[in-house]
Amino acid sequence: MEDSITRRTLLGAVGAGGFVSIAGCAGDSGDGGGNDDPYSSETKTGDGSSTDNNSSSGNNSTATGGSANVALSMDPTEGVWQVYGGVSPYYTNILEPLIWVSEEMKLEPWLATDWEATSDTTWEFTLRDSVKFHNGEDLVAEHVVWSFEQVLNEWSYAPGWLHVESGSVTAIDETTVEFETSDPFPTFPGTIAHNMIAIQHPDRSRENTEPIGTGPYQVEQRTQGQHVRTSGFDDYWNGTPSLDELTFSVITDPNTRALSLQNGDVDVAFDPPKSRVEKLDSNGGTNVTTQLSPGAVYVGCNIYKAPMDDPKLRQALNYATSQSDLVETILSNIGVPAKGPVAESIFWSAHEKLPAYEQDTEKAKQLVEESSYDGEALQFHLSNQQVDGELLAQALQQWYDEIGVNVDIQVTEEASFEDTVRSGEPHLILESSGTNSGAADYLIYETFHSEGDVNERLYNEEGTGIYNLGEEVDQLIQAGFQTGDQAEKEQKYEQALQRIMEEAVVVPINYSEYIVAASDGVSSMDLRPIPEMTRWTGLQTGQ
Amino acid sequence: MLLVLVGVSILTFLLLFLTPGDPAETILRQQMGGRTPSLEAIEQFRQSEGLNRPIPIQYVDWVTDVLQGNLRESYYQETPVSTLIINRIPATLELAVAGMAVALTIAIPTGIISAVHKGKAPDYLSQFAALVGVSMPNFWLGYILIIVFSLQLGLFPVAGVGGLESLVLPAITLGSGMAAIVTRLVRSSMLEVLDEEYIDTARSKGLRERIVIYKHALRNALIPVVTIVGLQFGYLLNGAVIVEIVFQRPGLGALLIDAIFARDYPVVQGLVLVIAVIFVLTNFAVDLTYRYIDPRISFGGESA
Repeated sequence: MEDSITRRTLLGAVGAGGFVSIAGCAGDSGDGGGNDDPYSSETKTGDGSSTDNNSSSGNNSTATGGSANVALSMDPTEGVWQVYGGVSPYYTNILEPLIWVSEEMKLEPWLATDWEATSDTTWEFTLRDSVKFHNGEDLVAEHVVWSFEQVLNEWSYAPGWLHVESGSVTAIDETTVEFETSDPFPTFPGTIAHNMIAIQHPDRSRENTEPIGTGPYQVEQRTQGQHVRTSGFDDYWNGTPSLDELTFSVITDPNTRALSLQNGDVDVAFDPPKSRVEKLDSNGGTNVTTQLSPGAVYVGCNIYKAPMDDPKLRQALNYATSQSDLVETILSNIGVPAKGPVAESIFWSAHEKLPAYEQDTEKAKQLVEESSYDGEALQFHLSNQQVDGELLAQALQQWYDEIGVNVDIQVTEEASFEDTVRSGEPHLILESSGTNSGAADYLIYETFHSEGDVNERLYNEEGTGIYNLGEEVDQLIQAGFQTGDQAEKEQKYEQALQRIMEEAVVVPINYSEYIVAASDGVSSMDLRPIPEMTRWTGLQTGQ
Repeated sequence: MLLVLVGVSILTFLLLFLTPGDPAETILRQQMGGRTPSLEAIEQFRQSEGLNRPIPIQYVDWVTDVLQGNLRESYYQETPVSTLIINRIPATLELAVAGMAVALTIAIPTGIISAVHKGKAPDYLSQFAALVGVSMPNFWLGYILIIVFSLQLGLFPVAGVGGLESLVLPAITLGSGMAAIVTRLVRSSMLEVLDEEYIDTARSKGLRERIVIYKHALRNALIPVVTIVGLQFGYLLNGAVIVEIVFQRPGLGALLIDAIFARDYPVVQGLVLVIAVIFVLTNFAVDLTYRYIDPRISFGGESA
């Protein structure tokens, strides 16, 4: 019913003929827009060796068009995307935000080339020159204002989320936009480095489901709940898309997604079931790539509830834990052993600088004896939605038992989990974190700052909290949060994380990875830590 | 009939409110890509959707809307529920009808053969097959069929909707379980009828065995079968939930699952109501067909 065919208004005729000649330079331009960091995901091929799927600096300039089909578990035609003409900006590259997010989770100038805070509550963004929309028009500041107004009016939570009210985005001139935030909000640029805050042309149609964006691919056909077929946009500002046609298919069932790939119905499948990873990798014809996400899993210690207030006990739990064993066995090697609570893919994770607690049962036993622990059972809470949560908790329970610490595992329904954590009842909590935007700052702020979301309630009521070490760490986090300078941010957050790990506020488990399976012919997938931000401009299918 | 619908709607309404999980928080979290929504955002959502009012009042409001033909709007999809259902119904009906066709094509001949050759090899074989068919979980059979017919033989696409070829595997998956049940029913019903005296009479008149079985026995044996088949049609819609997920068919089942996980109350309520209506209507249709199959049955109660 809602299906419709979007025609390329200007380039339809030119496209097909001109493509082959233009395609020669596709690989050279890449799509990273001046990334200096090599693409870092690891590809395991059938024989177990590693190959590099590098795309950002394409030496391979033999692109000759072709088509590809990408299977997603989410439905890009869901009703919530009506504001963008019925197609999701997640994964599809049809619409783009002002700022993108790099392999290192740094902010990457995209439709905006530059931004600065002109006061505590105002930001000025400079737009990139000669960016074309799919309808051929140039991007100007008015389009950005219009796009923000759409989002702010469409989603009731958007003004609170972005700290921007409708009416406070203004065009200063053709290429400058000013944002006025409702309160000082230093992580504003990172917050809008999010697919959901995309820039679109006012001629896009909700009724006829015709999105108009600036991305390397433009919508040709949208079939509700099934697929979105796109074609390469030759006037893309950041390189020429290598494919003539790129389709995104919805396949919600993970097994069916993997089977569709094996059958050759699709070329790329996100998140195949873990149990099939090995098969997909050793099969002729398909391979599996893993990519670090900005997520991490760790056990949080409620440092205000006795006996967890004793750092010796917390260190003992760290010495009792072998991250690599957990990753190898329970997680089937999907994920990386962690040293801290913030994913290694985030540039300020301090992974290299954090103290390593190598598993040492004797030392752990000794620390327990020295501590104030008196044998009571510790309440270990986890959400029923946590993937592999119970298995992880049981493995930890066993290790802790070996050093003389009793642990009671309690599984809580996801919907009431957050509330249980904030009440301060549990001793230990299995936490997982992640972000969809460039503002990963909240991962540290909300969890470890006294006024962060997790600690706020108890901090205000009783002057305590959950994971907040207090004054010193608060100041470091505050300083990192306030600054727009990435080097300073890195330094402050790293110091805070070092304190957090010295005090053993958490027992790290793993940095999360996500899995993408693809046909062997597929190359130059430009995966990013945020999977929804995967770039497809250079994708090749080898056909 | 109306009573059934009222009962069903009250029950789903209550069950939804008993399930843990706050729809405001769940929906907002999903919309915001996994971030925890602020308390103000949650409160605002509850206000605008009227989730703060007492449940009976919410129910009465909803019924009033439904009676005016308004199934409300999905929280998450921001689309009218009626539009969502209308969009999805063809895929599900197509599947249910095809599943039914598969089931009957397999079940009726097998059941007859089984009854006629009672206690011999064909009977045992079909009984065994029926047992397997009943025991096999739908989703598992689905994967097996995909692996054999799509991956190895390359005959059908793995998933999706479209032409007849993408309907074959889901229909077999859905129909096989029902085929097993109906086979056993046809068999037992045929056996019962074959014992009746009028069958002996027919045979003693010298009628050919084929006519005895198909004209005299089968027609009578089909009465209980039609009842069950009618009832089973409702269960086919149930089975469709799983089959639709496995074969990625955008139908009512897939919609229902998504809505339940997202705590998208209006969609769940609207869908359950529509499915209940379908149930009630098929039962009614079954009653009507009795009369056609067996003219002795009448609704007036006196003209027999």
